Amino acid sequence: MSGIVRGTVGFNDLKLPGAWTRKIGKDLYEVFIGPQHPGSGHMRIIIRVDGDIIVEAEPDMGYVHRTMEKLSEVRTWIKSIPLFERMAIHDACNVTLPYVRAVEKLLGIEAPERAKYLRVLLCEINRIAAFLYGFGIFGVFLGHSTMYMWPFGDREVWVELAEWLTGARLTHTYPVFGGVRRDVPAGFTDALRKAIRYMRRRLEDYRKIFVDNPVIRSRLEGVGYIPRNLAIELGITGPNLRASGVKYDVRMNHPYEVYDQLDFEIPVFQEGDAYARVLQRVEEIKQSLRILEQVADWLDKHERSPILHDRFWKTAPPLYKKVFQEQGRAKLMAVYAILKVPKGKAYERGETARGEISYYVESDGKNTPYRVRIHSASARNALVYKYILPGHRVMDLPAIYGSIDYFPPEADR
Amino acid sequence: MTGWVEAIIKIIEWPPLWQLVVLGLIAPLAVVIYILWFERKTAARVQRRIGPYHVSPRIAGGLQLLADLIRYSFQEVIIPKTVDKAAFISAPLIALILSILPVVAIPFTDVPKWFPLPMDYSLILALALVTLSPLFIIVAGWASNNKFAIIGGMREAYLIVSYEIIAILSFLAATAMTGTYNLVDIVHAQTGWKWFIVLNPLAFFTAFVGVLLSTSGFPFEIAESEHEVVAGAFTEYSGLMYGINMGAAYLKRMIYSLLLTVVFLGGWYPLKPGEGFIWGYLAPSIVIFIKATILMMIFSFFRAVYGRYRLDQAIEIAWKILFPLTVIAFGLGLLEAYYGII
Amino acid sequence: MNVEELVAKVKEILSDMVKDVVVHKGNDYIEVEIDKDNIIEAAKRMKQAGFDHIKDLTVVDYPKDGVFRIIYNLSSYSNRELSYYIVGLAYNIPRDKPETVTLYPIYTTADFQEREAYEAFGITFKGHPDMRPLLLSPPVAEMKPLRKDFVVKEEPIDLK
Repeated sequence: MSGIVRGTVGFNDLKLPGAWTRKIGKDLYEVFIGPQHPGSGHMRIIIRVDGDIIVEAEPDMGYVHRTMEKLSEVRTWIKSIPLFERMAIHDACNVTLPYVRAVEKLLGIEAPERAKYLRVLLCEINRIAAFLYGFGIFGVFLGHSTMYMWPFGDREVWVELAEWLTGARLTHTYPVFGGVRRDVPAGFTDALRKAIRYMRRRLEDYRKIFVDNPVIRSRLEGVGYIPRNLAIELGITGPNLRASGVKYDVRMNHPYEVYDQLDFEIPVFQEGDAYARVLQRVEEIKQSLRILEQVADWLDKHERSPILHDRFWKTAPPLYKKVFQEQGRAKLMAVYAILKVPKGKAYERGETARGEISYYVESDGKNTPYRVRIHSASARNALVYKYILPGHRVMDLPAIYGSIDYFPPEADR
Repeated sequence: MTGWVEAIIKIIEWPPLWQLVVLGLIAPLAVVIYILWFERKTAARVQRRIGPYHVSPRIAGGLQLLADLIRYSFQEVIIPKTVDKAAFISAPLIALILSILPVVAIPFTDVPKWFPLPMDYSLILALALVTLSPLFIIVAGWASNNKFAIIGGMREAYLIVSYEIIAILSFLAATAMTGTYNLVDIVHAQTGWKWFIVLNPLAFFTAFVGVLLSTSGFPFEIAESEHEVVAGAFTEYSGLMYGINMGAAYLKRMIYSLLLTVVFLGGWYPLKPGEGFIWGYLAPSIVIFIKATILMMIFSFFRAVYGRYRLDQAIEIAWKILFPLTVIAFGLGLLEAYYGII
Repeated sequence: MNVEELVAKVKEILSDMVKDVVVHKGNDYIEVEIDKDNIIEAAKRMKQAGFDHIKDLTVVDYPKDGVFRIIYNLSSYSNRELSYYIVGLAYNIPRDKPETVTLYPIYTTADFQEREAYEAFGITFKGHPDMRPLLLSPPVAEMKPLRKDFVVKEEPIDLK
């Protein structure tokens, strides 16, 4: 620490783009953007500007920190699922699924196939909803109020679908150990197909008003450029990584659930700028729609079958089974509340809308976890601000912030 | 009894008063209120929402803006301890006055009896007055003693330097075409549908964009860009003071629209000012206001379509594209005058 | 590449530095125990071998043994085969002297993660240029909340 100007040492050592800026003078202007500012979420970015150029940027996170890692140590295993959902409530299934899978690994069980398809179904619905949320925020950051309203309106379609499937608009708590909570209601797949058709049409509208808008293009092209090497070095994830030309997606590199049986592509863009990240997200929505179509087909072809692993399902009283056959709802058995997980460690990751989330779960055989370590996508993407923002103009900050699709509650955990 | 009424009518008809208070303040304010409602309503229509509704459902929320105005007037005006009080309070008021003032130089009729000022150099006077008010926005930003306000003020300063010359030069293209600074003569030169928007569309275009730049309309809403600098120079203002600041920008855009109407859109044509107050003064002003309102509606529609440019991009557009275009437009005007098309 | 091959490969990369290798459930996560002194050398070699980023830095507190276990979970973006696996580079440090060296010069990814470990466990990473709390405010970080001896106060749910 001694004699070091904060944050600048790393730049010089690693020859990162931040080091290309001018020497810091005395006449720097320090601006605190956030945490309660219309241009940032619940997060503060301290920028030091020279004229209009950002010389140093320092993400100051933690405004909505909830110590989830500690809280999970005093809760029973099942109670941590609704807790972890609070990281990204509109992406709840994606965020909690790796935790559920890690515990399943320790238990040595696997969900039945139907449950796997249902998990994928909700994951992709969540993913689209989260992308649309990000688009809305991004649009309003660039002053494009129509792009703010449209995706938020269209997101309602997917939120409603999720509500129909799970009973909750946002915090679904849908995947539980060994399966899922509910089966699809009657007529769901038809509504899903309708929503897919609608979304495809709307993506075309988005292209017309936002993606191909000359003002938006001039704001985004060449801004926030992350070269491939730097993207890997900073360990950024998700669409941001793929927009920089790295073909990495947990769904492909470490397939979970039924992703290895589904036919979809991992879109990759080479440009690595903010505009490529926008295009990347549009492509990802298209791929998610493709996955959803296949899941809908599979669900139409297969009859209703138990959606919980046998270990739990066999403890269900006959009444539960009757309710399940008639209404598709599986009430959670008492065994979940007293669940003890065998000793061991497991590591599991999943692809959320904003990138890869990873869980390190350690159990010492009790009814609460010994240690859960979460590292979420936004927490990893936050490094971008420190290393990419320097050298850009102040007005580029919302463009970069929005294009990274940073979500403070997810980063703060 | 009748003497009183006549006296009041005389006072109202007295051109400086009529022009400043009625045409300069009340009518633009009414138009601005309508335009704000229109802007919110069109944006809502584009964005598949309803927009203002609950205040007066029968007239589609038309009274929403009045309700907002009343709310603003009753809100507490907070003056932070750290501000330079005199400048903080006076700057927005002066800016408001200065943005209305150019209306005294705009003719709403060709009957000399109704001119508030001699119209010989009215174009120059109007342009000079219209470019004064941004200075006080910078003062307001500086007096606020807030980082966002100062950044906003500086952005305003950057933009003034780039748009002012464009706006002035493209209006002066009309002078190049007619050889006069007299707005009445300029309107007369546009008789018989020879509107300058048709004869010199380039000048109209550059003036139009210059106005957009100067009144921070989309896609150039940079100085008050909410997502970087909160509210620009007006970050520290609250209540009615904030309302004045925001209203001043719209009033200024209204005055600019009036000027655009007179210079490029044929002024009071197709109407011909006749005898008496009604046909000589009131009717032509209504025609001009209708044209200006249509211009305002076009300005506000951009909000729903465009995002905002970056500061350096806006300045680049101003200097690299618009400035040469303005010079060409000026030259075009000279050529047309030389070949006697006017 | 299956997990045995990965274990063999890691043993080859780190050679004599490896103290112990554990393959955890699921066969996609291996934990390699090394000495505290070897960590920088081991990280350098791992990075050269294609493990190009730290997926996550996990610290686990074992008060019974009197140690903190620091696990750098490494993975790869650029190598498709390696990207299936997570390799945890683990070492113990004594609980009463929570000091170790930073991997920041090797892995930029370690920047925020070591700061997070610093605030939650009070572990100082020597050589890190910016060792301040990341998420927590300094008074809360002072309490080292993720240590096992920090007990979460549970408030009764009944209204008094």
